[in-house]
Amino acid sequence: MPEPTTSTLLAVFEDVDPAANAVEKLHELGLTDDRINVISGIPIQGRVLGRPGALTNVPRIGFLGAALGMALGIFLAYGTPYLYPLPVGGQPIFPVPMGWIVTFEMTMLGLMGFSFLGLFVDSGFPAYTPMQYVPEISDGRIAILFSYPTEDQQKFIDAMKNAGAESVAPAEARHL
Amino acid sequence: MATIAGSLGRRREEEHEDPREHLMHDPLPRGEMNAMVMDSMHTTSWKFWTVAGFLAFLVLTCFFIAWGYMIANGLGVAGVNRPVYWGIFLANTVFWIGISHAGTFISAILRVLKIESRRPFTRAAELMTTFGLVQAGASIFMHMGRVWLSYWLFPYPNERGVWPNFHSPLMWDFLAINTYLLCSTMYLFLPLIPDLAMARDRSTGWRKIFYRTLSLGFRGTEGEWKNLTTAMNIFAFAIIPVMFSVHTIVSWDFAMAMRPGWSSTVFGPYFVIGALHSGMAAVAIVLFFIHTTMKNMKYFIRAEHFNTIGMLMLLVSMAWAYFYFNDYLVPWYGGDKWNKLVQEFAEKGPLAPLWYIMLFCNVAVPWLILWNKKWRQTPWLLAITGILINVGMWLERYIIIPEGLSINRMPFTWRLYFPRVEVFLTIGTISLFILLYMLASRIIPLVPVWEVQEGQEVHMLRRIGRAEVPTLSELE
Repeated sequence: MPEPTTSTLLAVFEDVDPAANAVEKLHELGLTDDRINVISGIPIQGRVLGRPGALTNVPRIGFLGAALGMALGIFLAYGTPYLYPLPVGGQPIFPVPMGWIVTFEMTMLGLMGFSFLGLFVDSGFPAYTPMQYVPEISDGRIAILFSYPTEDQQKFIDAMKNAGAESVAPAEARHL
Repeated sequence: MATIAGSLGRRREEEHEDPREHLMHDPLPRGEMNAMVMDSMHTTSWKFWTVAGFLAFLVLTCFFIAWGYMIANGLGVAGVNRPVYWGIFLANTVFWIGISHAGTFISAILRVLKIESRRPFTRAAELMTTFGLVQAGASIFMHMGRVWLSYWLFPYPNERGVWPNFHSPLMWDFLAINTYLLCSTMYLFLPLIPDLAMARDRSTGWRKIFYRTLSLGFRGTEGEWKNLTTAMNIFAFAIIPVMFSVHTIVSWDFAMAMRPGWSSTVFGPYFVIGALHSGMAAVAIVLFFIHTTMKNMKYFIRAEHFNTIGMLMLLVSMAWAYFYFNDYLVPWYGGDKWNKLVQEFAEKGPLAPLWYIMLFCNVAVPWLILWNKKWRQTPWLLAITGILINVGMWLERYIIIPEGLSINRMPFTWRLYFPRVEVFLTIGTISLFILLYMLASRIIPLVPVWEVQEGQEVHMLRRIGRAEVPTLSELE
């Protein structure tokens, strides 16, 4: 049996409450959460909208960076004196306490640098291709982007309007 | 009796604050706030360009030409000479690193502690961090003299296979300052992304291209917000120990040396609190200028924010006095001949007025002014206090570094330090800092609008008994 063709709608809401009602309606109409995306001008937790929380890989990537940074720090603090021993002021070649300083700085640099990169990797930044979006979102509107079986278009449009959508229109990709 | 009671009643009424005076309880539609912030960036008067032009002239002459002159003629044109090899350049370096601490303190620590009044001015403080560190870096390069050899500091071996000495506090400094510069710049950029996207949606022409490029295609999907807020949380927690480490390591540049006046175990925290002292004061100055000179900013920056900054300044001033007293008392009590000599030189020597001005500016001024809420909420008074504190903190660094080096264990080398080209270069760095900040205010939204709106969404007024009291939802 062929898959039903799907289309994408973008419904724009003025506030969180109607947007949460709209999400509930979409669930009632049989849409699963993976076919719904909410776009907003401020971070809104999934539980506010009755949706599962979004997942992120940023901490994992960050901690990978911390481990790499720590390895680099250990190499700089304890490895380079081995490559070319430099006796300093009666100190041992591998002084442990002052090695902590370099190791700490490199660990933190790795953690934060990789967390920053993690944002890029996990969010697909930079993205300059056309995307489904309306500028009203940055003015405080909340948009619900969802894909649905094309044959039921009117049913979904009515559901969104009943939930309080300011506008419901087929989502069009545009340059931001 | 009735008259007294009536008078007390009136007084209580006057003291009662309307919660709507607080930004979080006085919301405007997001579109309107966006328009106000965009308008503040686009509205530029002839006065702005006159000041910017004058500063650009100072930067050209006092920064680039003076530095070029020093590079061409060598460090001999500066006042540094035996025994004062570390002059104003290093005092400036410590001063600017101190200024840079305020951004992280306000943005990260207040974010972690969930102090809500931080929301409208975190960006203004974070910008100071980045631009302050630029001046600190420039001051170090000036101090090097042969700036073209600065790559020797980079952690890689030379042609003989010799690595830089990682046992040296100067090398720790290099790593710590660069870590802090990179991380604080990233931390400035992260919460800026949604505001750049907002600016992109409301701009045309070159600004549109600029904001579109920098906003990276941010739309505000659930995944993007989750990634962004998670990264911001990681930064907020991680950058605090880095901030503490930077100025502690800067203090170790001095404390690790066995010099009278420098070799002190309390130098680390004393320097950190000193950095916060000058940094908080600088935030007060910047907020005053934003509040007074930029269009629409009176809505975002209010008396409550000056009050918050004022209280922090007072608290930090007390902490600074505590650490200074520690650093003063122990060598004084210990009775070491050379330490006493350094102390007496500061108090009774030819530069003694600097020591008294320092104490007056760092302790007396904030304690006399900032205890009063009304005065804390007066922007111009807070700005003057901030300027005086920064004068005091700069003098503190001057007293520690070049003045402290004038006296040592070899009396035949004693010599006072007289700055020469350093004076121009100091004016140059101050001018460059202000100019960069002014120009940034034309292209970077100084108020994080999305954070303000987020705060306004979670704050509400609730009636309890006969009063409407502010309440806060816990959404994070």
